[in-house]
Amino acid sequence: MTAPAHPGRSRTPGPGESGRTAVPAAGTDRPREVRALAEARWPEAGDGAPPGVPGFVHSAFAPLVVAVADRCLRRRYGQGPAPVGTGTAIVLVSAAGDRPSADHVRATVAVGGRVGPLFFFQSVPNSVAGHVAARWGLDGPVVCLSPTGPAGEDGTVEAELLLYDGDADEVLLVAIEETPDGTPTGAVAALLGGGAGR
Amino acid sequence: MAERGAVAISGVHAVSALGRGADAQLAGVLAGAPAFRPVRRFDTTGRRVTVAATLPEVGTLTDELAEAIDTACRAAGLDAAARAECALLLATHGGPAADPGPDGGPEVPALAGHLARRGGLGGPTRIYTSACVSASTAVADAATMIRRGDVERVVVAAGYLVEPDQFALFDAGRALAADGAVRPFSAGRQGLLLGDGVAAVVLESAGAAHRRGGTPLATIRGWGRAGDAYHPCQPDPLGRGLARAVGAALRRAGLPAGAVGYVNANATGTGFSDASEAAALRLALGDVADRVPVSSTKSVHGHALEASGLLELVVTVLALRRGSLPVNAGWLGPDEACPLTVITSAPRPATTPYALSLNAAFGGANTALLVGAA
Repeated sequence: MTAPAHPGRSRTPGPGESGRTAVPAAGTDRPREVRALAEARWPEAGDGAPPGVPGFVHSAFAPLVVAVADRCLRRRYGQGPAPVGTGTAIVLVSAAGDRPSADHVRATVAVGGRVGPLFFFQSVPNSVAGHVAARWGLDGPVVCLSPTGPAGEDGTVEAELLLYDGDADEVLLVAIEETPDGTPTGAVAALLGGGAGR
Repeated sequence: MAERGAVAISGVHAVSALGRGADAQLAGVLAGAPAFRPVRRFDTTGRRVTVAATLPEVGTLTDELAEAIDTACRAAGLDAAARAECALLLATHGGPAADPGPDGGPEVPALAGHLARRGGLGGPTRIYTSACVSASTAVADAATMIRRGDVERVVVAAGYLVEPDQFALFDAGRALAADGAVRPFSAGRQGLLLGDGVAAVVLESAGAAHRRGGTPLATIRGWGRAGDAYHPCQPDPLGRGLARAVGAALRRAGLPAGAVGYVNANATGTGFSDASEAAALRLALGDVADRVPVSSTKSVHGHALEASGLLELVVTVLALRRGSLPVNAGWLGPDEACPLTVITSAPRPATTPYALSLNAAFGGANTALLVGAA
């Protein structure tokens, strides 16, 4: 894979990208600006089920994360990986992680069964975040959140905090959309940059 | 708004198989006697490993967390008005209710609001489900929020109680030590063992603590978070992500590597993971890695997963205050892949007022917290 030249934060947003967005800083009413360098959804027009992900089974959770992350990052970095030294964090927001897999494990254990080892590796949302990080060379923090407010708000506040604090120069924010019973149905992603300084 | 500067730890509470309360944790890690016993809480028939470090009597995770939050706030001397300004950052497992019983209380994500209401905490809430760096990431974020002036005071709470689903998953993944012992950095180590852990910590700006007459137990001097970008589940064998987290913590603290007098390592007793951490310490600390005393208190209280970072932070704070560094239990002998000064036989006296508490998780997530004595 060939990494495209780093386009820099000041370039004009391209297709699928958008400009600045103001988010509230945690615990304050002071808006801080972060920029959406690229955005994506899954599904978008023409999408079916997301492609499977090697090593992940049973659930659409990991495929959705990878599909929307890949789409978002491609809009910024082509085929990838991200430029060395970018320091991109991943913030993954989901109400209950991979709920279908967790429910499968609970049902299996409840009747004294043995769960497959792959379920161990996908038992926390970090794993698929790490898959994306390895694929794209994203070496910033890995943070998974369960939203306490409107979907995406906690993730945006967390992203802004990481950008401000300097452990990340960019943040790939992925939020899972799910039904009330935890079945993942879609995902949105944004690559955010441009913290307010530290 | 709070002023910038030091982030004080003004109240702590923890529960583990070592006992209930801060004193029990310190006594347990200094005694160095592992708390692993056959699991009685649920049926382990058919599992490869059948031991863990569990409390004999335990409430629901929700109730244990609520009690931990209240106890930490009381230890810090927070009145109702001070509590009302507190944010709550909670670290716990996502997914179906993690409580051992069917009446365990609200599931994530409603759990944070429930606990905030019970504890009288009126600030913003957030829930971290980042596996074994959940709690340490929450502490780093809390310190950032305080230092930036977003809030003056944050309660970080974390909990994991050993339950059948995660136990079965770790068993299926052959991650558990078949010999029933956790041997961090040691030759012959076979894996990790799970342990109960519920903890809460009150963090606040030094100025806020001073104004209300609070007495800090210690300070968070620095913190760092970084990723490996290596593999979904395996750590970078060169330890580059963890090393960058340590470097960030030192830079924020404005301290050289030589100032660090103790490392409470993440080390789980897992072969490649402990070796990766040893490489990270060498990369981050240079020659200091040869001589800085290191231990992993998971060797006595087990791995508390999402809560591990907070339980180990509490232990590190208490050890620094006592001036006595905990033993790394389970030691059989050196492993050339882990060339470190491991505290193997008896607690050592602390020689500097600074210590690192390290954590790492699936996804290549790494954190470092740099604690300073008050």
